[in-house]
Amino acid sequence: MDLQYLPYVATVVQLSTAIIGTIHYRKYSKAKEKFFFYFLWFAILVEIGGAVLSDVFVLPNFWLYNLYTLISFSFYFFWYHSILKRRDFQKMVLTFAVLFVCLAFWNFTFQSWSSYHKYTFITGALLTMVCTIFHFWQLLNSDEILEVKYKLSFWISTGLLLFNMGMIPLMLLSSHLNFSEIQFYILIITLNFILYGCYSIGFLWTKEKYNRS
Amino acid sequence: MDQGEVQSFLIVFSAIALSLAVTVVILFVLFQKRKNRLLKQRARDKEAFEKELSETQIEIREETLRNISWELHDNIGQLMTLAKIQVQMEESKSPQLEEASETMGKAIQELRALSKLINPEALKSLSLAEAVQLEMDRFNRMQFLKASLKVEGDTKPIDPKEEIILFRILQEFFSNTVKHSKASELLVLLDYMDGSLEIVAKDNGIGFEQKADGYSGIGLKNMRNRAKLVHAHLELFSEKNEGTQLKMTYYFVD
Repeated sequence: MDLQYLPYVATVVQLSTAIIGTIHYRKYSKAKEKFFFYFLWFAILVEIGGAVLSDVFVLPNFWLYNLYTLISFSFYFFWYHSILKRRDFQKMVLTFAVLFVCLAFWNFTFQSWSSYHKYTFITGALLTMVCTIFHFWQLLNSDEILEVKYKLSFWISTGLLLFNMGMIPLMLLSSHLNFSEIQFYILIITLNFILYGCYSIGFLWTKEKYNRS
Repeated sequence: MDQGEVQSFLIVFSAIALSLAVTVVILFVLFQKRKNRLLKQRARDKEAFEKELSETQIEIREETLRNISWELHDNIGQLMTLAKIQVQMEESKSPQLEEASETMGKAIQELRALSKLINPEALKSLSLAEAVQLEMDRFNRMQFLKASLKVEGDTKPIDPKEEIILFRILQEFFSNTVKHSKASELLVLLDYMDGSLEIVAKDNGIGFEQKADGYSGIGLKNMRNRAKLVHAHLELFSEKNEGTQLKMTYYFVD
């Protein structure tokens, strides 16, 4: 296999997850999880757009990924804000969102658009992890814990927690480690497998009656 | 790719993998523990609810029996007594009337005995052996079957509340014997031991086939629920045409 196609593996995994999600859409169409599904397709469009930009037109695509980083984490905050029930958790998430957007715009203004704004990502990832923990806390303290494996939101949170946990050190160390591109991709693809694996399990296992709140 | 590069890659990779694995394990343990706690809590709640339910059922039943007992004793009993007096007042009594008066006397006696046996207040003043003996006497008088009671060991007082439940279990058994078993003999044994009381009730009736699927009639279910309430161990043996035997062990609380 030609190594230049390696990055596409992640997109293929993402795409198959989105297809599984489409097949099982009925099961969560009435819940907040449906926004997540829309977002998944949006992410795929961005991935494809980015690939087309760089591989077909040989244009820079960092600006696209920087914008995507802003949108994706803002979406996570919006989503957690809508599924968390405790007021104080909601307020925290709102604060996170404001902090994150400010930082993202700061980086947009003062950093070159021809590089990836990794500190935007790291901040977003850290704050998202806190959100997932809030969500776990909510599940742990409710009767939903008995049927947790049928809840799509549980699998989404698990995926996000594990993915971001792996990505943060990678991003932080990326300039200090002289990894070759392929090593970097192996790590990212592994993490993508975990993330989309969790989503897929969620889509497959979830049951309609547990996605109503 | 030199060796140092590969090494640092492997280190980073395994560090990340390890932290992810640890996270998964922690999440799993946390959720599992919490889940088990919730399940246990639910089981406890259910048990408490069921206990409450059986206690309420018993209370309602005792209340009903008490009312019937009063009604029998004060109302019907009085009427029968009056009828008997009226018959006896007749001066030129024919032999038929004499007999009728005698029958009424018997009826009144039965009525009183029954009224006493179903009245929880009256039962409270009796020991278990006395109550069972009264019930046996009643059966013997009715000439349905030959009933006998045997008491072994030194009798010990039992908490009246629990005693009445034990007695109701026995009554349930007796009523089944009388109604369904076609038995000609009924034997009850109360064996008082140091820490426990063993109660055996046995008839020589047609018995019943013990259902393999664990299904049991309401009567048997009631007996079991009540036994559970006083922490007694209850066993019922029966075979077609071999009679039925109830064995109950009640543990004294000191």
